[in-house]
Amino acid sequence: MLFTLLPVRVCIMGRRKKIVNECERLMDEPENIRNIAIAAHVDHGKTTLTDNLLAGAGMISDETAGQQLAMDTEEDEQERGITIDAANVSMTHEYEDTNHLINLIDTPGHVDFGGDVTRAMRAVDGALVVVDAVEGAMPQTETVLRQALREGVKPALFINKVDRLINELQEGPEEMQKRLLSVISDVNELIRGMTEEEDYDWTVSVEDGTVGFGSALYKWGVSMPSMERTGIDFGDIMELERSGEEGRMELQERTPLSNVVLDMVAEHFPNPVDAQPRRIPTVWRGDADSDLAESMRMVDEDGEVVFMSTDISMDPHAGEIATGRLFSGTIEKGQNLYVSGTAGTNRVQSVGIFMGGEREEVDSVPAGNIAAVTGLKDAIAGSTVSSVEMTPFESIEHISEPVITKSVEAKTMDDLPKLIEVLQQVAKEDPTIQIEINEDTGEHLISGQGELHLEVITHRIRDNQGIDVHTGEPIVVFREQPQEESREVEGVSPNRHNKFYITAEPMDQDIVDAIHLGKASMDMPELERREALQEAGMDKETSQNVEHIFNTNVLIDETKGIQHLNETMELVIEGLEDALEDGPLAAEPVQGALLRLHDAKLHEDTIHRGPAQVIPAVRDAVHRSLIDAKIKMLEPIQDVRIDVPSEYMGDASGEIQGRRGRVDDMYQEGDLMVIEGIAPVEEMIGFSSDIRSATEGRASWNTENAGFRVLVDSLQPEIISEIRERKGMKQELPPSIDYI
Amino acid sequence: MLTFIGLGLYDEGSITREGEAALQAADRVFAEFYTSRLLGADVDDLEAHHGIEIEVRDRAGVEQDPEPILQAAENGDAVFLTAGDTMISTTHADLRVRAADRGIDTRVIHGVTAETAASGLTGLQNYRFGKAVTLPFPGLHGSGDVPPSVIEAIDANRERGLHTLVYLDIKVDSHRELSALDTDDPYMTADHAAGLLANDWEDELAVVVARAGSPEPVVAADRLSALAKQSFGDPLHLLVIPGELHHVEVDALESLAGAPESILPTESDR
Ligand SMILES: Nc1nc2c(ncn2[C@@H]2O[C@H](COP(=O)(O)OP(=O)(O)O)[C@@H](O)[C@H]2O)c(=O)[nH]1
Ligand SMILES: [Mg+2]
Repeated sequence: MLFTLLPVRVCIMGRRKKIVNECERLMDEPENIRNIAIAAHVDHGKTTLTDNLLAGAGMISDETAGQQLAMDTEEDEQERGITIDAANVSMTHEYEDTNHLINLIDTPGHVDFGGDVTRAMRAVDGALVVVDAVEGAMPQTETVLRQALREGVKPALFINKVDRLINELQEGPEEMQKRLLSVISDVNELIRGMTEEEDYDWTVSVEDGTVGFGSALYKWGVSMPSMERTGIDFGDIMELERSGEEGRMELQERTPLSNVVLDMVAEHFPNPVDAQPRRIPTVWRGDADSDLAESMRMVDEDGEVVFMSTDISMDPHAGEIATGRLFSGTIEKGQNLYVSGTAGTNRVQSVGIFMGGEREEVDSVPAGNIAAVTGLKDAIAGSTVSSVEMTPFESIEHISEPVITKSVEAKTMDDLPKLIEVLQQVAKEDPTIQIEINEDTGEHLISGQGELHLEVITHRIRDNQGIDVHTGEPIVVFREQPQEESREVEGVSPNRHNKFYITAEPMDQDIVDAIHLGKASMDMPELERREALQEAGMDKETSQNVEHIFNTNVLIDETKGIQHLNETMELVIEGLEDALEDGPLAAEPVQGALLRLHDAKLHEDTIHRGPAQVIPAVRDAVHRSLIDAKIKMLEPIQDVRIDVPSEYMGDASGEIQGRRGRVDDMYQEGDLMVIEGIAPVEEMIGFSSDIRSATEGRASWNTENAGFRVLVDSLQPEIISEIRERKGMKQELPPSIDYI
Repeated sequence: MLTFIGLGLYDEGSITREGEAALQAADRVFAEFYTSRLLGADVDDLEAHHGIEIEVRDRAGVEQDPEPILQAAENGDAVFLTAGDTMISTTHADLRVRAADRGIDTRVIHGVTAETAASGLTGLQNYRFGKAVTLPFPGLHGSGDVPPSVIEAIDANRERGLHTLVYLDIKVDSHRELSALDTDDPYMTADHAAGLLANDWEDELAVVVARAGSPEPVVAADRLSALAKQSFGDPLHLLVIPGELHHVEVDALESLAGAPESILPTESDR
């Protein structure tokens, strides 16, 4: 783990100004723009590499690159030595006599921050995947690759820390070559598996120049084209790398990392004009024949403004900054733009680009670029922002939903309003965080991807915002799901003039997954949704009657020609959502339920079938149908991988088994044993310190959220009663819940 | 015994003599004011005037938990009060059926209702009204500004040459905040309603009735678009969309409701 002092930002102002001017000029030439992300497993060297690129482009001083971590702008990032938020930066690079504008996003590698990575991928067209030569492809490498490929983002590979092979592992040329090739073939196998259905081949290769090697720490790098150009081969590298400080300096001078990588970026990553025609259909489901679609595909700077915000950050002076990709039009100060999901328009206060983590205001930013916009007060990370009202972009799916919750409470009354404001801000910035504000008790809930995720958020509230808060113990988020098909139940409105007849049943996991991954959603045209659901295994008739999808639950309308049902449906849906948000067992969210509305009886007059009547009737019917379908609690589980010397294997696997976990595989990799298995998230709280002491600090491990599974029967009553008590619900369950 | 009594249209004096007698003889008096209310008297006025104590029930206290009312009716003479008539637009038939199912005797003492006033004050003939509708506040009932069922009902009446009585929403449910609406008035006003309906029937004739039953009711006939621009003072308001007009009705709208001659059908049209 590295610990840096506050960075001394040596920066020559005149030069910076020149770069800004050059960037502004290049923004207008989409053919010469590359929007890229750098992504990797944690600690494989993204941030160090990014610093190198910045230094190469003259954005920070050479001396400090590699130590200063300019991209890790939040104080806690520099302390922890990991990148938490995706940071943005623009730079220029000359390749084959043409100057290029490179807009770059550094993304976090820790699994808890996966939401940031997916959002970053929406903004870029190419992803440089960094892999540590010693560790090879790791679980997060696979995850970030998947996130990139799913968004239609083209990968290239940089194998980092090659100096360690030479100096630490003392490998000879053959060993080294074997190792590097095996990293490449592992990565290619992942890419192949993930692009099976595509008609392009995005595997990487040394010959094509889509693979680079080097050392971000010592700032040198090579690729096939660079070796041809400089005449430096692996033999030279080994010699120079071994010959100490001076040799490294020479390497750095003769084959600087930034040149090699930036050349690779310019040569192999698509520019917006190449990328957008392919990417727009995968990220936007609107009318493909419309002018809007055409101007997005063509990167038309004279078209309507279409911007997708991928990141919201807070600037003490400028306020909220929305950063994202401009797919069409030109964005400038004073424009009134629509923000998806909200009414009315927001007025653009300023537009800018990022230079080494600092925002530079410019007059306007044209299509194809990454822009930083202020004044979009309604935008959240993931909003579609446009000059005409339009179908929003596909929601940026994050791989996993929140699994852990923590309560936060202001210690002093005075901080109450500020805390609520900060929490709302946090949720805007990171949609993988869920916030539940409770103004009555003052005990608010933050839910996120893992312990670290929540720890970082509360740390920021405390230290950056200066709000003194109490936080509760982390609590796992549970789900509720029906287990069998229910009988038809009747829900009656309070005035007894309206009745709803509903059944509930569990939905096939394949369909749940398809919805979870956004393959079928209410945002897409009906026909497409129908096909997607059928493909996932839903029968034809059911798929034709889908009325609503909420979380991973589906409402099917099987009624025929009931008068007034149409105008009542919104209220039915509201009642349904209420019921599914707070399940009948412990008011935890319901998932994977298929609800069928079979019949309804409605009052003649709107007033007597208003919200006060329909919502409770439907809520009640849904809950009773779920109970009749034997609804049970689900708990979140994680995939666990532990790398450990063989003498600690027993202790390490014991840490999984002792946590209601299951070991699925154990195998040798290099001189380490790898243990793979799954365990419930609830039991994994505190795992870090336990595994450290069990293995005397010799284990490295990785955990990844892996969805939910039914909690064992013997624990159901206990967990339900614990949650009910915590939520202040009455202990006894409705008598109809007799199966638990 | 459970006696349903309509309080009539305006204040403590709007009840019938029969209703008053039953009210004063009752052991317990219940009332609800979430479906409608008297504009000229509050609960205190009613209690003082009749020398009784009134237990006001909210929606849940009538619909979900009517037990106290039913028990009181089982053990003695209970009375259930609403503004207007208890069985017309407020529809408390369900409570009466529940009582009857438990073997409780029930009785209805009618009150004057908006239906009577709509026809009485406008001069439009009771025989010529079609189905009545309620116009809800936009945003409260899903789809669009005016629910399709309201438009369909008015259309169907007009096709058959019938008048439509349009009740206007009262925001009394606690379910959704008043602040979610585009008005801070809990009673929909006739001009607001006319504005909503003018989207479909801009130039059509409509009649506003404000404060029916009060000493100073207002009746005004004009195009919907013109009505939308006026204001008619304190609640409650209602609106009538006339169908085909009988010549006596034309005369009534002209002299009782101040309808501009230009929009009324002429002698030869009829
Ligand atoms: N030996 C060696 N160490 C490196 C290299 N690149 C990065 N590191 C070190 O690896 C650690 C993690 O680097 P960092 O850039 O923060 O990784 P990130 O988590 O991917 O952003 C730091 O201690 C770096 O100094 C390299 O090429 N060689
Ligand atoms: Mg980092």
